[in-house]
Amino acid sequence: MRKWFAGLAAVVLLAVGTAPAEAAEPGGAKVIRVGATQAMDSMNPFLAVRLVSSSIHRWMYGFLTVPDAKTLQPSPDLAESWTTSPDGLTWTFKIRSAKWSDGQPVTAQDAAWTFTKMMTDDGAKTANGPAVENFASVTANGQDLTIKLKTPQASMLDNPVPIMPKHVWEKVGDIAKYEADSYPAVTSGPYIATEHKKDQYVKLKANPEYWRGAPKIDELQVIFYDNPAAAVVGLKKGDIDLIGRLAPPDFEALKGDDNIVQWNTEGRRATYLQVNHGATTSDNKPIGDGHPALKDPRVRQALHLAIDKQKLVDEVQSGLAKPADGSIVPPMYKDFFWQAEGGAKVSFDAARANKILDDAGYQKGADGIRTMPDGSRKLQFRFSIHTDTPIEDKLAEYLTGWFKDLGITLTTKRLDSSKFTEETGTTALFDLAISGWSVNPDPEEVLATHLCSRRPTASGEGGGTESFYCDPQFEKLYQEQQKELDRTKRAAIIKQMQERLYTDAPVIALYYPNNLEGYRKDRIAGITPIPEDRGMLYGGSSYWPFYTVEAVTADAETDSGSNTGLIIGIAAGVLVLAAAGFFVARRRGGVADERE
Amino acid sequence: MTVAQPAAQAIDERPARHGMLRYALGKAGGALLSIAMVIVATFFLFRLLPGDPVRALAQGRNMTPEQLDLERHRLGLDKSLPEQFLQFVGQTLRFDLGTSYEYKRPVLDLIGERIGSTLLLTGTALVMAVSLGIWQGARAGWKPGSRFDKFSTAISLVLWSVPTFWLGLLLLMVFAAGVGPIPGIFPTRGIESVDAPDGFGYVLDIAKHMVLPCLTMVAVVYAQYLLVMRSSVLDEVGQDYVTTARAKGLRDDDVRRKHAVPNALLPTVTLVFMRIGFVVGGAVTVEAIFSWPGLGQLFYEAIRVPDFTLMQGTFLLITVSVILMNTLADVVYHLLDPRVRSA
Repeated sequence: MRKWFAGLAAVVLLAVGTAPAEAAEPGGAKVIRVGATQAMDSMNPFLAVRLVSSSIHRWMYGFLTVPDAKTLQPSPDLAESWTTSPDGLTWTFKIRSAKWSDGQPVTAQDAAWTFTKMMTDDGAKTANGPAVENFASVTANGQDLTIKLKTPQASMLDNPVPIMPKHVWEKVGDIAKYEADSYPAVTSGPYIATEHKKDQYVKLKANPEYWRGAPKIDELQVIFYDNPAAAVVGLKKGDIDLIGRLAPPDFEALKGDDNIVQWNTEGRRATYLQVNHGATTSDNKPIGDGHPALKDPRVRQALHLAIDKQKLVDEVQSGLAKPADGSIVPPMYKDFFWQAEGGAKVSFDAARANKILDDAGYQKGADGIRTMPDGSRKLQFRFSIHTDTPIEDKLAEYLTGWFKDLGITLTTKRLDSSKFTEETGTTALFDLAISGWSVNPDPEEVLATHLCSRRPTASGEGGGTESFYCDPQFEKLYQEQQKELDRTKRAAIIKQMQERLYTDAPVIALYYPNNLEGYRKDRIAGITPIPEDRGMLYGGSSYWPFYTVEAVTADAETDSGSNTGLIIGIAAGVLVLAAAGFFVARRRGGVADERE
Repeated sequence: MTVAQPAAQAIDERPARHGMLRYALGKAGGALLSIAMVIVATFFLFRLLPGDPVRALAQGRNMTPEQLDLERHRLGLDKSLPEQFLQFVGQTLRFDLGTSYEYKRPVLDLIGERIGSTLLLTGTALVMAVSLGIWQGARAGWKPGSRFDKFSTAISLVLWSVPTFWLGLLLLMVFAAGVGPIPGIFPTRGIESVDAPDGFGYVLDIAKHMVLPCLTMVAVVYAQYLLVMRSSVLDEVGQDYVTTARAKGLRDDDVRRKHAVPNALLPTVTLVFMRIGFVVGGAVTVEAIFSWPGLGQLFYEAIRVPDFTLMQGTFLLITVSVILMNTLADVVYHLLDPRVRSA
């Protein structure tokens, strides 16, 4: 049996010693490796919904427009210019004369085919269906693309649909079943996908035909990790060169490594509380079992006052966030961000919160818990959070403490994500719930989650609501901003919408989590974030950072890995020989014993 | 005498053979019944889970009510429960496990793509764990109370109770990242390097990637083989035949290896077979730590989404293989142990 042990040791050590060092680069090509903690769901852009997939498709395909690297305003991409009719219903885009990676010219036909496919084929609607929802017709004439809309839509220039090559994709039979796994892919963006191993990696080659000019590196690799902790180890070790979307603990684990730059910037998310302030269905019938006290704006205001947002940032987010004095659009989007000022600003003030509730007639009982003015119910709220998110648990602890001082009991209700979505989005079986959205450069989508039409029907169909909000004033502002094509004027309306959300408090913004990333400075010589002044690297809606990324030249690198490998290889060899010798000697002895 | 002997043999063997066949058939019938029950249970189990899968899929995405309805229709969720059930049973009997909600591809294809890497990892780990467990358990049980025994028992109890996730991460941090004088030599993820060489180099590359996940699995599961083997060897130590063998002047090692161990192997063999069923399920945790592209990872993804057809499909596959292997374990035990056969 000792043989087994020696064999095992030999196999293990042999494997270690002789396998090539991971960091070796083929033929001195400039390769940048990006770690992603999510794998591709599909290479087919009509089907892919995960963030990593849409990022990779952003790097591969051209879009009508792309957010400008400085201002985040829509700027030309495949569409080099555009005009809008005075009624805002007809948009004409001039498609630039670019080339597909197989040499064919890019025409308006390609864009028209892409949008029409999505409008007519249910399978093609899967990923970006709502983007063409408002399209009446799409036609092409040479390089001119004309889109007619059903109603005016100012967010038109934030179109999330990659333009696909008609001459390749029109041959696909069933879009809903097509895996798009023939490589190299035909694309018009900065990179061409050349290889995809499922759950392992995607290799993207620089597109020499790209209209802006080829990227400065030869190859971009996206390497998938299931486990963020392993990805952090991978970055420290040099298996990958950059990683985004880190949680605070993983980000802090990068501290103290001289080769790694910790990239901590404003993020695109807001974390907030949803308040069940009297949920109704889309035909205005009450639904769910929300606590009646939450219908009272004064109670919602008192809750808002009782939250020490700075403390949440410090203790729950390890300081890696910004306390929210605004609403659901984070400060990263300077044009649209709104912040409460002066008397309107709600700052942590437990005494004032208590006074508001006292004045409103919610008296404290002998047990210190308040009751409704008519004495019918105690102020005992439930707080719905997700089962698998430790950060939310921590948040719940703080809220429970503060609300207790206010005379309100908070009990935490942990739900798995599908139950959570059901209770907070359809059946309204909650009082308070945690929430948060990633916001696009155009905030139309996240604002739309507060529209009356987003509430579910009586039978629980449809939806996509935040807090079951339905407010005539908000609704009116939403329609206005959709018609307003002047960006400054539109931004002013969008700010009014946020102000409405802040004062009416169907949602209470807690903080804006930072965007936490890390990269190796011994591998990445330069990378331009989006926006350029300390913006994001990975996960923004732009190819900009990965178009501009520059690699440290290969000869500047040290080569320590292969030496270690060699030493271990020799040690392994010696060990195996020793083990074999020992075993043979023993075996001889054994046989001799038996002969006697 | 020459006539009587074959006759006696025939009398001895025939009923035994018939018994064996009848036993195997009975077991197979039982297994089929269990599988049928599992199919039914799987359907209702995953319908009992709270939440609307379509809405869960839409989470974080802007979807219109029409789009949600469309999705529901496409997944067959707009049909009545009995209709869905009949469809599910029909499909399952045709080895069609449905289409994954998230990947939009047949579950069987997704399983097919990953089963190989799972079998490679868990198979290797099982062989190592069994070998190591049997070897160490036999030696420990042979000299109970010895230093080796105390050491083995202690280490197996520690490893048995260590959380897999913790152990895996620890190994990852020490041997992949490197700590102090220990260089980080093993990869942090996956089954192969992105720029893996061809030919023999490719095999070595995979071997290198296997070391840490394999080590984690072996560490966690080998204790059970060690403990079972130890106790069954312990049972044999006091037996007369062992004393006799020793009295014949045989070397102690030979008595252990050639007399005691073969007799003590029975319960361990059963355990091994029963464990093979779980091999298909893989090690969800280990695959998740080391981003190993296997079935466990697929199941983990399915739970995270949650992707009900994918969960249902992988769950069914795992349960059915456990049932089949348990049945096989029964039959093999029956074959190996004459005492069970004649009873």
